Amino acid sequence: MATEPRLIVMAGTEESDLTRLAEYEAIGGYRALQKARGLTPQAVIDEVIASELRGRGGAFFPTGRKWAFVPKPDQNPNPHYVVVNADESEPGSFKDNEIMARVPHRFFEGCLIAAHAIESKNVFVYIRGEYTGPYEILLAALKELEARPDLRGDVTIVLHRGAGAYICGEETALLESLEGKRGQPRTKPPFPAIQGLYASPTVVNNVETLATLPPIIEMGGAEYAKLGVPDSRGTRLVSISGHVERPGNYEIENGTSLRDLIYGLGGGIPGGRALKAVIPGGSSTVILKGDEIDVGYDFNSLLKLNTAMGSAGVVALDDSCCMVQLGIRISEFYEHESCGKCTPCREGTRWMTQILRRLESGEAVQSELDLLLDVCDRINGKCLCPLGETAAVAVASYVEKFRAEFIAHVDQGGCPFGESSPLHDVLAPVAVHSPATVPA
Amino acid sequence: MSTYYDEVQEIKARYPDWRSAALPALRLAQEQHGYLSPEALRECAEALGTTPAFCEAVASFYDMLHLAPIGRHMVEVCTNVSCALVGAQRVLENFEQELGIRAGETTEDGEVTLRPIECLGGCGWATVVSVDHHYRTHVKPEDVPAIVQELRNGD
Amino acid sequence: MSAAETVRLTIDGVGVEVPKGTGLVEAALAAGIEIPVFCYEPRLGPAVGACRMCLCQIEPGPPKPQAACTLTAQEGMVVRTALTSQVAAEAQNATLEFILVNHPLDCPVCDTGGECPLQDLTFRYGPGNTRMTFPKRTFEKPIPVSPLIALDRERCILCYRCTRFSEGVAEDGQLVAVDRGAGTMIATFGDEPYRAPFTGNVIELCPVGALTSTTYRFEARPWEIQDVPTVCGMCPVGCNVNATTREGKVKRILSRNHPEVDDGWLCDKGRFSYAHLHAEDRLRDPILRVRRRGFEEVSWERALDEGERLLREADGRIVTALSGSETVEQAYALGKLLRRGLGAHTAFFAEESSDALDAFRVPLSAIRDADVVTVVGDGPVVERAPIVDLWIKEARRRGARVLYELDEEAVRGAKRAILIWCGHGGHGGATVAALAQRLGASGAFYIPETANGRGVCDAWSCSDDAESPSPDPIGLLIVSGDEAAANPDVRALAEKAERVLVISMFQGLAAGWADLVLPGTSYLERDGTYVNLEGRVQRLRRTVIPPVPDELAWISKLAERFGVEVSPYPSLVFEEVAAIAFGGIPFGGIGERAPLPTAIGATAPIDVPAEPSDNGGLRLVRYRPLFSGPAVERVRELDFQRPQPEAELSEQDGRARGIRNGEEITIRSNGTSVTLRARLSRELRPGVVRVPETFAGDLKPIVEISK
Repeated sequence: MATEPRLIVMAGTEESDLTRLAEYEAIGGYRALQKARGLTPQAVIDEVIASELRGRGGAFFPTGRKWAFVPKPDQNPNPHYVVVNADESEPGSFKDNEIMARVPHRFFEGCLIAAHAIESKNVFVYIRGEYTGPYEILLAALKELEARPDLRGDVTIVLHRGAGAYICGEETALLESLEGKRGQPRTKPPFPAIQGLYASPTVVNNVETLATLPPIIEMGGAEYAKLGVPDSRGTRLVSISGHVERPGNYEIENGTSLRDLIYGLGGGIPGGRALKAVIPGGSSTVILKGDEIDVGYDFNSLLKLNTAMGSAGVVALDDSCCMVQLGIRISEFYEHESCGKCTPCREGTRWMTQILRRLESGEAVQSELDLLLDVCDRINGKCLCPLGETAAVAVASYVEKFRAEFIAHVDQGGCPFGESSPLHDVLAPVAVHSPATVPA
Repeated sequence: MSTYYDEVQEIKARYPDWRSAALPALRLAQEQHGYLSPEALRECAEALGTTPAFCEAVASFYDMLHLAPIGRHMVEVCTNVSCALVGAQRVLENFEQELGIRAGETTEDGEVTLRPIECLGGCGWATVVSVDHHYRTHVKPEDVPAIVQELRNGD
Repeated sequence: MSAAETVRLTIDGVGVEVPKGTGLVEAALAAGIEIPVFCYEPRLGPAVGACRMCLCQIEPGPPKPQAACTLTAQEGMVVRTALTSQVAAEAQNATLEFILVNHPLDCPVCDTGGECPLQDLTFRYGPGNTRMTFPKRTFEKPIPVSPLIALDRERCILCYRCTRFSEGVAEDGQLVAVDRGAGTMIATFGDEPYRAPFTGNVIELCPVGALTSTTYRFEARPWEIQDVPTVCGMCPVGCNVNATTREGKVKRILSRNHPEVDDGWLCDKGRFSYAHLHAEDRLRDPILRVRRRGFEEVSWERALDEGERLLREADGRIVTALSGSETVEQAYALGKLLRRGLGAHTAFFAEESSDALDAFRVPLSAIRDADVVTVVGDGPVVERAPIVDLWIKEARRRGARVLYELDEEAVRGAKRAILIWCGHGGHGGATVAALAQRLGASGAFYIPETANGRGVCDAWSCSDDAESPSPDPIGLLIVSGDEAAANPDVRALAEKAERVLVISMFQGLAAGWADLVLPGTSYLERDGTYVNLEGRVQRLRRTVIPPVPDELAWISKLAERFGVEVSPYPSLVFEEVAAIAFGGIPFGGIGERAPLPTAIGATAPIDVPAEPSDNGGLRLVRYRPLFSGPAVERVRELDFQRPQPEAELSEQDGRARGIRNGEEITIRSNGTSVTLRARLSRELRPGVVRVPETFAGDLKPIVEISK
């Protein structure tokens, strides 16, 4: 199954250069948009509900239902907004990067379909600031599109570049950032569907979610829903990285086994080493041990293992890796990216890093391992947004699944792996204290 | 030739609220001044119609906006997990060695700033190095001297 | 209240019924239960849910604890706080542990110690020990955010109350959070001071000792102080305040929320001017001009003798220049003495007063609920009555149209229109009252220049019924108070008077031009009443004993010599005035938060004299800046707040002349010119340029502007 995927989002990319409008139209591009515009907005929403499409950004919320929450223009006369979350920043995920770079017009077509569905005239694409390449491709594609009023209709698409902040991938932080403020999450409710951008009705959708819309409209929701497994319909672009022979993005049918992803598509572990662990859905998901990969890559199957597809970033780690070092690196990431708004995340992630560093140094005592878990527990469920909570859950999962290794650090008074682990002493931005200034 | 002020007015016109122009206006000011100096922030505030403090508050939240001088070139090495697993730290160290500076610093001639950066979203093409905001993928430690040479030769 | 407007919920097993829309923190309070908070402060706008102190278990809802401050009471909701929920108790304990992880715990040397919410909540909900064994985050400290405010970033718990105030209440955009995550800091731009009219409020908002007052720093411990409730006497708003005193000295001024008047905010002039009580040139003894010997300090007995002599020698040819900062009782007592005892009816008031506004009397808080707010008169509201500007800003944030130029259609079409007169002319409110009547506004205000101008006028007119023509020449000019003493028009009158008697607090204002100077007192030292710009009669309480006898005491003694009975007790004097002017309300009935008398309906159409019309050029509006005047000038810490050499003009006028913010411009009127920095404002109509009095030089009323 994994070896012969049916391409939906990336369909046509093997034969054509779909960054060009002409080539995209040649394979039937923008026909789904015309079809959608022939339907009432409600009919489009119904079609998407029938497809059982769920958000590809990480939260996996049913897309059609999200749209259905948006008040109709007669219920709320404010402008309605489609905001695209193209702020892909989750370590392990790089799929939206490739979607924007290779099927920009399918993505824009999805944007226009969404705009039609919620009766919006304004689309804002919030693309992460570092994505210069995809931005330039989108910009060129948008120029082509803007020259075609028959396609664009009366919808305005604005590309808005971020400036380097992981938290802006959280939808309310993204809205704050798009409004020109510090990207700190808002408390929910109110939800964006009711009070989003400029306090107006807003849907925030992920790039892949939107790029999936044209094929759904084209083939019909029911047809799309035949792909995949219950609760996880259709295909998904999975980013495979780390210790695999063939890292990259692969479009798979939901439900494909994780083992197939790593050993089939990914080509297995290089150097004949053993698979030690897998981060299944980006850095914020609960880790799986090397022997837990005989599981379907879908929502329900992974839920049974208390983890999730998240943003579909599969990271394989071989047996040379130290899990305490992994904990440090992940904890430092979240510490660096914590927005500083709510207390548990801001203070807790910093404390987690401190404890983990002491564990790695071999100076920690057994009780500090318990303290680490307790700090994680005290962060989890107390934060304003998922950032701190996922940091706590992810790191706690390393301890829980590799407890013996953590205890060994205490017992041996040092790291059993040391420099042989590729994660040894990796310099993280949070650890850089010398400011990047020009010498006087 | 349009001035910075006029360009910002054009950016503001894209959005229902002037505030949304803050990030693009700051990015533009940084491009023109090299970094967001107090003068650049003042200019930005004036063009947006807000206070310099507001501009600094926003700018300081984002990693790509610099409130202190940086080099003419920026080298950013992703050291997040996927890149680290395949040797990003050695890539970073080789840059330190080639440039004669530590990560986080700028070469004495003000040419190159080197820093580690969080996940650049290119995990399958590790190690990813962003050179002047364009990605170099599959960078190996041994590729570093050539990249540095290229920067030094470039204009 | 009808059942439809309320919801019933259960908090820790206690059933409570509250109005729909009530926040959970308030609903719990109604049930007698505390939901602890740090960041929550409804006056700062919607709840942000940042600190996580208020986490409670709430059904219906997810199993994890919810930030109660962000939720409103719903029918059937079941809330469990730390009192009855292990989950909530654990969550609140966790929040406090995280807050304290990097807090320096330097309570023994912290000014906030003893009145610190962090201490109190840790005492009630927090961990008793620390598990943090790593070096705490450190910052350089204290940082002078301004000469008035010190910032200790280590104590800061990042509740963002101060920055939310700056951004969302005062809208000055100057105090901000910079950087991110655990490195987030409160800051101003670079080394620039937090320079704005309302900065001191952030000290009171701070729930820890991160923002402290430089003038109160290390001055007192909370158990050594007393708070005296009084009202501010620095402007016509009359913000309710507490004066903190220690050993007979005022140590700080705090706001004391009157929800209809000030909403708990206070401007820096009201908060920090108290140091004028200890001004170097404060007069403690009367000063007499002695022929050929100049001036000498004399005893009070001698001063009263001399005063009596001056009064008798003037033979009724007396003019009294009033400041508008006297209490009602002082003004009445002075009037009674002079008018009944000497037939001296002529008074010079700094400005006019009118009763016509009484028909449109509404509380200041009504501005917030207006849909159209119109400011006429071209004067800067924030400089005259700062809190009124905060109410206007809040109205704008709530969606009101705020206009600085009369648009009759907008006022007529509004559901709740408020008119505000700020500026010269206006006939003491008669003009704006006539407008309100004609256009059907629901409320109108006139902003006088002085704190109790209205009350002083009323008191003076109550003190006798008779009238007399203005004396010429003036035998004796009585200058009552510092504002009158500083007024150039009064100085001009003095030139024409044979004798001058000045009542003043300060040597610098009184010396040199008076035959007799009687030392005055401050509003912080008096008992009595003020009438604010709403027409609200408010109580002033003596917060400290003045170093000199108060005015009422010696007026009473002097009156006795002229056979006029004036009580030295403010309560008795007030009752005399109140019987005539304030509907007989008893002194003791005013209370700590005075009510607003109901509006008196206007029957006849209100007439106003016609205003002179403009003719070409820009009209110059000179104004007295907020941070000016005898008291402010004596507080060194307020120096940085003094007006800048700036001229304010509308954006349209600026654009038309190609002038940008901050550019140097020259303002000319025939023969004279000044050069100032331009400040473009949306709060000014085209055709007007506004310049602080101090920088306006000899400019004429009509000016031209060029780059």
